Amino acid sequence: MAELTLNKPRFTLGRVFVYATLLVGVLFYLMPLLVMLLTSFKSMDDIRSGNLLALPDVFLFDAWIKAWSSACTGVACEGVKGYFWNSILITVPAVLISTFLGALNGYVLTKWKFRGSDLFFGLMLFGCFIPFQVVILPMAQTLGWMGLANTIPGLVFVHIVYGMSFTTLFFRNFYVAVPTELINAARIDGAGFFTIFWRIILPLSGPIFVVCIIWQFTQVWNDFLFGVVYSGGDTKPITVALNNLVNTSTGVKEYNVDMAAAMIAALPTLVVYVLAGKYFVRGLTAGAVKG
Amino acid sequence: MAALDIQNVKKTFGNVDVLKGINLSIKDGEFLILVGPSGCGKSTLMNSIAGLEEVTSGDICIGGGAVTHLPPKDRDIAMVFQSYALYPSMSVRDNIAFALEIRKVPKAERMAEVERVADLLQISHLLDRKPSQLSGGQRQRVAMGRALARQPKIYLFDEPLSNLDAKLRVEMRTEIKKLHQRLKTTIVYVTHDQIEAMTLADRIAVMKDGIVQQFGTPQEIYDNPANMFVAGFMGSPAMNFLRCELTCGDGRYAVRATTRDGREYALPLVHADSRLQSWVGREVVLGIRPELITHVIPHKADADSVARFSARVEVAEPTGPDTLVLVELNGQEVDCRVDPREQAPVGTDMEFMVDMSKAVLFDPETEQRLL
Repeated sequence: MAELTLNKPRFTLGRVFVYATLLVGVLFYLMPLLVMLLTSFKSMDDIRSGNLLALPDVFLFDAWIKAWSSACTGVACEGVKGYFWNSILITVPAVLISTFLGALNGYVLTKWKFRGSDLFFGLMLFGCFIPFQVVILPMAQTLGWMGLANTIPGLVFVHIVYGMSFTTLFFRNFYVAVPTELINAARIDGAGFFTIFWRIILPLSGPIFVVCIIWQFTQVWNDFLFGVVYSGGDTKPITVALNNLVNTSTGVKEYNVDMAAAMIAALPTLVVYVLAGKYFVRGLTAGAVKG
Repeated sequence: MAALDIQNVKKTFGNVDVLKGINLSIKDGEFLILVGPSGCGKSTLMNSIAGLEEVTSGDICIGGGAVTHLPPKDRDIAMVFQSYALYPSMSVRDNIAFALEIRKVPKAERMAEVERVADLLQISHLLDRKPSQLSGGQRQRVAMGRALARQPKIYLFDEPLSNLDAKLRVEMRTEIKKLHQRLKTTIVYVTHDQIEAMTLADRIAVMKDGIVQQFGTPQEIYDNPANMFVAGFMGSPAMNFLRCELTCGDGRYAVRATTRDGREYALPLVHADSRLQSWVGREVVLGIRPELITHVIPHKADADSVARFSARVEVAEPTGPDTLVLVELNGQEVDCRVDPREQAPVGTDMEFMVDMSKAVLFDPETEQRLL
């Protein structure tokens, strides 16, 4: 009987308050997105005459096309498409490599412990707390020595190094919950270090891979500071290009193009979240619930 | 040729001595059980045999060859783990075939071996399932199948039944025994369950504090325990330990037992001889198993080794075939095993007989055997 009354939705004052608060929160966070989307589909005349939240008179894709292929980002006027591609060239290898290295690190730090491995992990964690600004100069010097200054591989390298602390932390905490008896069983069956990793450990790691990939993708794609510091003229990521596009101050300020460019810059991370969001939460809590 | 020879094996973690010089040797086809309370070092010893842990000193030989410093894969062993440790992402078939695959056994041979093992353990219908789709008992069988597929020199079982419920545990125990009788393989089996140890083993090593307390056949260990620890650990209900005074009259040794209401009895020690002379008049510990103290059985009651006494029934615990009756002797509790029909009501006096032919004596200080 108690269950029945518990399960029945009841419209108490508290309930109403909770939903009202949530609704306000949702509107608050959706508002900028809405304004951006609406503005990107308007013509400049429409923007000047109407209000921010009004629907466009006519839905136009002109601003999106211009932002993609012909808007000026500084001297060049070729839109953001080249930089979008740069960002993909930076993000995909950086995410995959840092995630893979994190998996390998986590595997070693939990299943093949060596003398001082806990200290090693502690130091590695330290990397999570170092602010970007601190490493800018030494990293610039390092990239120079490596001959990677102003190149896409250089930026990939920076993001791998910076991301590894986080990916190692994720994988290490996930693998701690994987029973060591599994590894012992495989060792007795004759499997070596990499065979165990490929055949036993990696097939278990789906959820944590999703977490890591989402996290790293967001970090690397959205990065501005490293992008602006270490990139050359042709190797800028889209975040830097977007900034240049918005700040190019010749003629009229084209809000619709700015908004469209911003949407283009934000889309990939949105897509990743929408596609893999539920795995993200599942993966984050995976170690917490199971013994 | 010994199938397994362990010579003076020591293992130290930091400054804790986990194994303090273990010596064990078993013949080909023998079933060795390492038994002891948790923390006694039995699992460490098992892991050392498996090669999962390096020993600090000493030697381990399998099938005559030294394997002390070899990695697990080169020791020709297979192991069944307490948690079964089945590879979660592989089907049962792949789990069983994994070791063969790693050892580059041709596919056809591998599949034939999987079929053979699956038949043996009656798990053929489960071969395409994932471990997560199996019950505890089924997982247990698959774990055994994985070990059996390789036909190694030695099988290691690390508490394989302790995650099963009581009924299944007894069934699997019998299965393992049958399997051993059929395959005549050498098995080393770790457990903390003394009933498993008694029922399965050819030889038992009782361990405590990193030392083998006694190594022998189950019956030797049951009838002739080396010390009070072994005596108390093996057997359920546990052996009675009765502190009492040793007496001697006309060269016949006995111990003195007094009931709660002051009646005094002399319990004869039929195997005692003059080596006990120095203990006369001193306190010793009499070890006697509950099944040796029974209601009076007329045709047995007249033997030399049998003494009779009467005492008040303090507590009665029926187990079905027998009833365990608690009485008090020398101010200490003593368990007796009587026929349910012969048991006197709780609180009243009852006549008992003690078969002293299997009684043992211990030194109360060192807890070692005196007789």
